[in-house]
Amino acid sequence: MTVQPLWLDGGWASFRALNGNYASGTAATTDLISILDTVEVPIVVLEADATIAGFNKAAADVIGMTRSDIGQASRGVAALAAMPRLDRQCREVLEGGVESRVDLRDGDRWFVVRISPYRTSDGHATGTVLTFTNVTAFRASLDQAVYERECTKAILNTVSEPLVVLSADLRIQSGNRAFYALFEVSRDETQGAPLHELGDGAFALEPFRAQLRRMIAGNDEFQPVEVDHVSTSEGQRTLLLDARPLSFPGHAERRILVTFQDITAHKQAQAAKDLRSEEELRRSEAFLAEGQRLSLTGSFSWKVATDEITWSEQLYRIYEFDSGAPVTLEMIRTRVHPDDDTLLERMIEQARDGMSDFEWQYRLVMPDRSIKYLHSVAHATKDQDGHLEYIAAVQDVTARRTSEEALAKARSELAQVARATSLGVLTASIAHEVNQPLSGIITNAGTCLRMLDADPPNLEGARETARRTIRDGNRASDVIARLRALFSKDELTLEALDLNEVSREVIALSESDLQRNQVTLRSEFAKDLPILTGDRIQLQQVILNLVRNASDAMANVHDRQRLVLIRTARDGADQVRVSVRDAGVGVDPENVGKLLDAFYTTKTDGMGIGLSVSRTIVERHHGRLWAEQNDGPGATFLFSIPIKPEGIPERVPR
Amino acid sequence: MRQGTRKLSLVSVVDDDESVRESLPDLLREFGFDARAFSSAEAFLASDAVAETSCLLLDIAMPGMSGPDLQQELTRRRQKIPIVFITAHADETVRPKLLARGAVECLSKPFSEAALLSAVGTALGQHSSPSATAT
Repeated sequence: MTVQPLWLDGGWASFRALNGNYASGTAATTDLISILDTVEVPIVVLEADATIAGFNKAAADVIGMTRSDIGQASRGVAALAAMPRLDRQCREVLEGGVESRVDLRDGDRWFVVRISPYRTSDGHATGTVLTFTNVTAFRASLDQAVYERECTKAILNTVSEPLVVLSADLRIQSGNRAFYALFEVSRDETQGAPLHELGDGAFALEPFRAQLRRMIAGNDEFQPVEVDHVSTSEGQRTLLLDARPLSFPGHAERRILVTFQDITAHKQAQAAKDLRSEEELRRSEAFLAEGQRLSLTGSFSWKVATDEITWSEQLYRIYEFDSGAPVTLEMIRTRVHPDDDTLLERMIEQARDGMSDFEWQYRLVMPDRSIKYLHSVAHATKDQDGHLEYIAAVQDVTARRTSEEALAKARSELAQVARATSLGVLTASIAHEVNQPLSGIITNAGTCLRMLDADPPNLEGARETARRTIRDGNRASDVIARLRALFSKDELTLEALDLNEVSREVIALSESDLQRNQVTLRSEFAKDLPILTGDRIQLQQVILNLVRNASDAMANVHDRQRLVLIRTARDGADQVRVSVRDAGVGVDPENVGKLLDAFYTTKTDGMGIGLSVSRTIVERHHGRLWAEQNDGPGATFLFSIPIKPEGIPERVPR
Repeated sequence: MRQGTRKLSLVSVVDDDESVRESLPDLLREFGFDARAFSSAEAFLASDAVAETSCLLLDIAMPGMSGPDLQQELTRRRQKIPIVFITAHADETVRPKLLARGAVECLSKPFSEAALLSAVGTALGQHSSPSATAT
């Protein structure tokens, strides 16, 4: 479409006169028209009767005015058809001299049409000027804003959590539906009301309001506040109030969004859980206390820096102090056995020195002078402040110690009995040994007297019998010496020993016993046997025991010789071995280990202690006692002990 | 001290202990008996003394055949020799058993001359052998 510039003649009349002929004019007019055509805003000029007087280029370009519209009534112009009241509005403008506005929609576009009076140079309004301002973009953003607002409102009203916006003076501006529902109020009655008047003043708490005031002043932090609120429909509720500032660009004043979270259920669950865990704690404490009571184990904690000591109930019982009394090291010292004082002080010193776990045993002397044995294990740790703290368990082991001592005593008594038992047999055998020479002495002495009394005296016979008397006396004395040596020795009395000689003595002692049992004893002694250090009497007991066992093992043997073979031999570079071999019933390989245990016996009349005691003696010499089944009938018992006495607990003979 | 043609009563000593074998026969001879010593029961049984012995002084515990064994053996052989046991084991439980089996006496070593003489006297009194006469 060819756009024709609008031509104006400076006067309405001439405009009309020149209608349709705007191609020519004065230079000034032409300039003005050029300027108007550069304006982007469409401009349409109407005559007083609302016919089209003219329009600028933008009117053609934007709203589609055409040349043929000039002179036409506005009603018939397509571009203006959307303004059905235009004629009347123009008339009103002409009459009133006041401009008016009309919104015009043209497809997607929106225009604000300003209708202004067209005045001639003498001030008369002879027509109207319509300017079309395109407000499409503005309308769109406005729509968007409305839409957003509605959306926000919908969201806020959907949210179940009550929300309220407060003004800078902490008055309620608006809330969401949940807010009004919670407080059972309407929007109207709370609008502008101070927040603290809500809910019977439950929100009047000063710390809460102070936080809000600080937020208005620019602080962004808010510490959520719990508030109890009574609702007529829901009853007692616990609300957690949180707040955040709302700042709007261009608004210096802050507002605050306050949220009300109903934490009633959570609180109840927590309370139930607390109750439960409290119950569990109480129970586990009860278990612990009961466990401590049963196991006689107390516990304590000791903060080393401050000497702050905490005791468990059981520890108070162990120390026999009043439960709950403040514990001091001084108090503990009053109970500790004087002999363990140094130990205690050393432990304390060591504990103060640094992080290390420790364990010690000490005794207490109770007010009734009884002794308690305690066993304590302490674990070093750091308390919350990083200071050294010991956590320790203390067990009363008195009963255990007492029973251990009783057991040890019983064991030693048993060993004594065992020794006495074997000595009983031994004594009988020794008595025999003594009675033989005694008998000889008496007989010889009697004979001697008679020979001297004879007439003439038989001096030669008397001399002979007197000599025999002396010989038998010496023999008896030897036996007594050996007998004395066998009695009452508990500790090792170390001396240099020739094991061959030791064995020979045993053989001499047991010979008659063996003869009585029709046992033949043979010995094979190593010639190069080194001298060893040991307890003569105790080693003799071992050998004697082995010989007796060998003899007893053959008690029911009738089809072969009852032979005991004692051998001595070197065992490696530094050991000496003694073996006692019998031809008896032998040992079941399964029982070899058990044979050496106290009380185990294959004999019907034995106490089974002999081998056990023997083993103890051999082990005291750092040696070993064991048994082997022979290739032929019977068993061999052997022991082997080191020549050097290193580590053997020696007692100086009394 | 043998007295003329009268045959002395033979007292035999069976004991494995040498000092007994040495001393006891000498004493018995001082008392006026004939005496012989044997170191074992077997040796005694093997000797000609069995038939001639009027009194047997017999040790209980000996290797090989014991005193009681010999007693049984003699009973079996119907050799009624009065037996006086002598023992170095002062075991009071053994004595009644031996007496019950016919022993004249059971002497514990050491024994006195009087006890010995009394026991031997009793034994010889019991002995029915016509040739045996106590002095």
